[in-house]
Parts: sequence; structure tokens; C-alpha cells
Amino acid sequence: MVTLGSYLFLSFALFVAGLAVIIARKNIIAMLLGIELMLNAAALNFVAYTRFVNSNIDGHIMALFIIVIAAAEAAVGLAIVIRFFQLRESIHIDDAAQLQN
Amino acid sequence: MFENILFFISSFLVLGGATMVVLSKNLMHACIFLLFTLFGVAGLYLTLGADFLAAAQLVVYAGGVVILMLFGIMLTGGTENKENRFGIEKIPGMGSVKTYIVAGVSILFIATVVLKIIANYMRHYQQTDLPEYMTTVERIGHSLLTDHILAFEISSILLLGALIGAAMIARPRKS
Repeated sequence: MVTLGSYLFLSFALFVAGLAVIIARKNIIAMLLGIELMLNAAALNFVAYTRFVNSNIDGHIMALFIIVIAAAEAAVGLAIVIRFFQLRESIHIDDAAQLQN
Repeated sequence: MFENILFFISSFLVLGGATMVVLSKNLMHACIFLLFTLFGVAGLYLTLGADFLAAAQLVVYAGGVVILMLFGIMLTGGTENKENRFGIEKIPGMGSVKTYIVAGVSILFIATVVLKIIANYMRHYQQTDLPEYMTTVERIGHSLLTDHILAFEISSILLLGALIGAAMIARPRKS
């Protein structure tokens, strides 16, 4: 039987996987993949509560805005990564330890 | 019946994809497994009766974000597992055993807290009758242009700012 709890558990697993990616990886693009996983976990929670608890549409609207913000974040994040690669020839997070020069 | 089958296929895609994003040693493979996970989340949206969100998820993520990530990977040295060039401790880019141990301990800590909260909630939850499936496109459109019009317009400004900002940041500079 598929209940609210199964969706909550799936969302929890997605969030934990994203967190593990962000902590374990040292590559900036791999960390961006982890952020996408965590944003998806949040959106899945909103939609699950919309179906099982209250049936108005606001949770769907919130998930839609999460998708929009994830797209904007991916574009700006990858631009910053590419600029950083032009400057330092590296995309390792530990190389980004200086504010200037 | 059909929705249960779709739920199991989607949850398998989500769990397997997320696990492989964590464990894969090749950055390109991790990106493809992220694509599987996003497909699984779209299937879960379908089982929850959110048809418009499932379509938006497929279009925006599979068509936009993952392709952008693949471009980013290919523009910044491909899948080479380089160590950091500055600093004393040399850790490979896709993580070493030490970083995975740190990640495991911290997610164990978070998992106990969050699962405690979820279990406490599930004990007091009673399943009521679920509403029938119906299309949500009309209601979403109506709600976006009446109740949430301010957030809608602000998100358009956000997207314009992200577009211009990304072009400004990543432009080639002479020096």
C-alpha cells in the first residue's frame, strides 16, 4: 500500500544522497549534482503533502518555483565554475581558497 | 493497480539513481544517473496526480539542467579525477575513503534525527480517502495568474537576471 510515509521516505533518501554527495565529493560540478538532488527532495515533499493532506494547488505552485530556481541556480553555478576554471585551471573545491589573486 | 506499478518502478529509479550518483567514480556517469533519478521523480509526480509538474520536470531537468551539466563537465576537463593543486592534503576530485567516511557519519547522524521525526508523525497519521485524479493544468494556471502573480513576475525577473549574470560571468576576458 502506497501511503504518505513511502513518499516521505523516498524524499528523505534523496535528501541524504544529496547531502552525502556534497560532503564526499571535492569536484564543484559533482557538488552541484548533489544540490539538484536536495532540491528535488524538497519539491517531492510539497507534492506528496498536497495529495495526501490538503488538496489545494499551492504545493504544486511551490514545486514549480523550486524547478525554476533550480534551473537558474544551475546556469549561474556553471558560469561561476567555468570562470573559475579559466582562472585556476582546476575545478577542485579546495583550490578556491583565495579571495583575490 | 497501475499506479502501484508506476510507483515501484519510479522508486526503484530514484533510489538506484541516487545511490549511484553517490558511489559512481566517473563524473559523466554520475550525471547520467542523476538523469535517471529525475525521471523517477517525474514518475512519482505522476503517481501523485501532478501531471503538469511531471511534464515540467522532464522538460526543464532532462532537457535543460542535465545537458547544461554535461556541457560544464566537458568544458572543464572532462572526467579527469584531478587532485587539488594548492594546499597540502591532496584529495582526488571525486572523493577519497576519508571524505566518504565523514559523509557516512554525518548522514547517519541526520538520518536518526529525521527518521525519528517521520516515525513520530506516521504513528498518528490516519489515511483518509484520496481525491480522484484530475488534471491540474487549469487550476495551476488560474492560481499562478491570480493568487501568486507577484511570485510569478519576480521569478521572471530572476530568470532574466540569471541569464544576464551567467553571460557576464562566463564571458572570455583578455589579459
